[in-house]
Amino acid sequence: MADAKSRNRRISGRGDASLAKKIAVVLRSLWARGEGKFALVVLALWLVVSLVSLVWTPQSLWTTDGYHVWAKPSAAHWLGTDGTGSDVFSWLMAGARTNLLIAVLAVALAGVLGMALTAAMVSRSAAVSGVAVVVVDALISIPTVLIALILAVPMGASVAVIVIACGIGYGLNLARIARPQALLAAGSDYVDSALANGASWFSVLMHHIMPNTMPTMTVQLSLSAGTAVLAESGLTYLGVGVPSGVPSWGHSLATSVKFIDVYPLTVLWPGLIVTVVVVALNVFGDALRDAVDPVANPALREVA
Amino acid sequence: MRFVIQRFLLFVAALLAISVVIFAALRVLPGDVATVMAGLNSPPGRVARLRAQMGLDKPFVAQYGDWMGGLLHGDFGKSLLTGRSITSTVAMRASITFPLIALGLVVALVVGLSLGVAATLATRPAARSCFHFFGIVGGSIPALWGGLLLILLFSKGTGLIGIFPSQGFPEGGWHDFGGALASLVLPALTVGIIDGASLMRYTRSALGDLLSSGYLDQAMACGYTRRQAVLKVGLRLAMPQLVSVVGLMFAGMVTGVMVIENLFALPGIGSGLVTDLGNRDLIAVQSELFMLAAFFLAVGFVVDVLHRLLDPRLKSSLEGGR
Repeated sequence: MADAKSRNRRISGRGDASLAKKIAVVLRSLWARGEGKFALVVLALWLVVSLVSLVWTPQSLWTTDGYHVWAKPSAAHWLGTDGTGSDVFSWLMAGARTNLLIAVLAVALAGVLGMALTAAMVSRSAAVSGVAVVVVDALISIPTVLIALILAVPMGASVAVIVIACGIGYGLNLARIARPQALLAAGSDYVDSALANGASWFSVLMHHIMPNTMPTMTVQLSLSAGTAVLAESGLTYLGVGVPSGVPSWGHSLATSVKFIDVYPLTVLWPGLIVTVVVVALNVFGDALRDAVDPVANPALREVA
Repeated sequence: MRFVIQRFLLFVAALLAISVVIFAALRVLPGDVATVMAGLNSPPGRVARLRAQMGLDKPFVAQYGDWMGGLLHGDFGKSLLTGRSITSTVAMRASITFPLIALGLVVALVVGLSLGVAATLATRPAARSCFHFFGIVGGSIPALWGGLLLILLFSKGTGLIGIFPSQGFPEGGWHDFGGALASLVLPALTVGIIDGASLMRYTRSALGDLLSSGYLDQAMACGYTRRQAVLKVGLRLAMPQLVSVVGLMFAGMVTGVMVIENLFALPGIGSGLVTDLGNRDLIAVQSELFMLAAFFLAVGFVVDVLHRLLDPRLKSSLEGGR
């Protein structure tokens, strides 16, 4: 405990000027490990493919090749074509950006909601913290897919349904996990002394309490990104996720399902891509756990 | 006892809150079931008559009151579309979904606990990496894809080693016990293996923490071998933590089950809900969503109480112990 407290003291109270340096150190520590390397390469590829797909895909998404339905992989169609003669590879490339967008937005929403709830739970007003704790405890066991189905009733199938449902679900989870650390920090000597020196509660919250939850939040958000990619494929298949006509990996997977008996090969690619990306995000999260921990990663302590 | 009562009140409050959320979400729906039933080009009077017939023209609060009143009596109302009692429809669907969840859970527990213990005890680097690989990759596979892979391998007729049926549920339902069970094997394996991989990671990390904590050193000093210490002392000590994980896993499993029911054409709650949603069958959808939410809130309640009872450190706060 004493060790954890002194560690917290070391992290908190640092200016944001060193944030870029810290990120550089964390990335370097990740790169030093085999698994971290794999994760960084996959995630970088994901980003690059998403950006490239905005300006170029091997074949246009909307030209269907009626003469080459269910074509085998060839020079023109790298992974073959689907039942309408669309190029499988191009759709997967374009799907990358939809999934990236969903993951980023869901994680951003979850982060904001999780931080707000965490801040509310350590509030000095008993009413605010009480309500926040009850809300989190009560809703934490509602599955994300249920939130998505409720949202889909008024909203129909849309990217927003996935983003909002995942954001709410993962945000609640985040708050529950970060709460003990926030409470520990809120009850610490340095918070007392900052308050005694006349700092406002808000500034104490921003400078001393929330920074202590950042390592946990970062790791958890990285894992949530993986869950969001999985959720996309499930919800899209159920008809409440990405609407038809919008490229996404879940969309590619769902359309190939209908023809599994006849063209099992087309099922392989979208599932494989989702799995590799989710593995990368999970590995990234796990590796991040050590990389952002100043005790396990001494290099981080050097950044003043 | 105080904790249990407090937690129960929280459960009831959450139940009420979620019922209001579900009810409200369904009222802002654009095209309602009356419009769908009457047809797109029907005269406006006909839609209005249908709405009145179904009680859709009453004020929100009155509709909510009717619905809740029915729920308290165990009556979920009638489907707006088919006119059949929702209670019996849901009961029929639940007779597929709950056995599926239970089977999936059994597979997950068997896979997760046994592999978790094996991974903790494994000493050879090759074996350790194998377990590590399975834990990470198994938990990252989309349920839909996992199900498809199992179909490609084991489905009767088209699979490489065709043993199990992969589409539908027998006509006779559970009267055809063998057939019903066989049709649930592949779906249950799909959800079970995916969740089992995650459970394995948790089991291994919980046992690993214990191994370095001194509790197991003490057990080994008392004459247990490493294996005995992990199995007899470690598992018991890790139990409270694992119960919480299984509880959360349970909520996650519902996503898998909904997808899997659709993939394997099982007429359970998950696939039924998707159909009713498409049909805009308001009353059916809201009752089914509420039932599912209630189920998961209840699981959360039970898990929290179990966690308290199993963890001796938390027990002191219970009046008079167990």
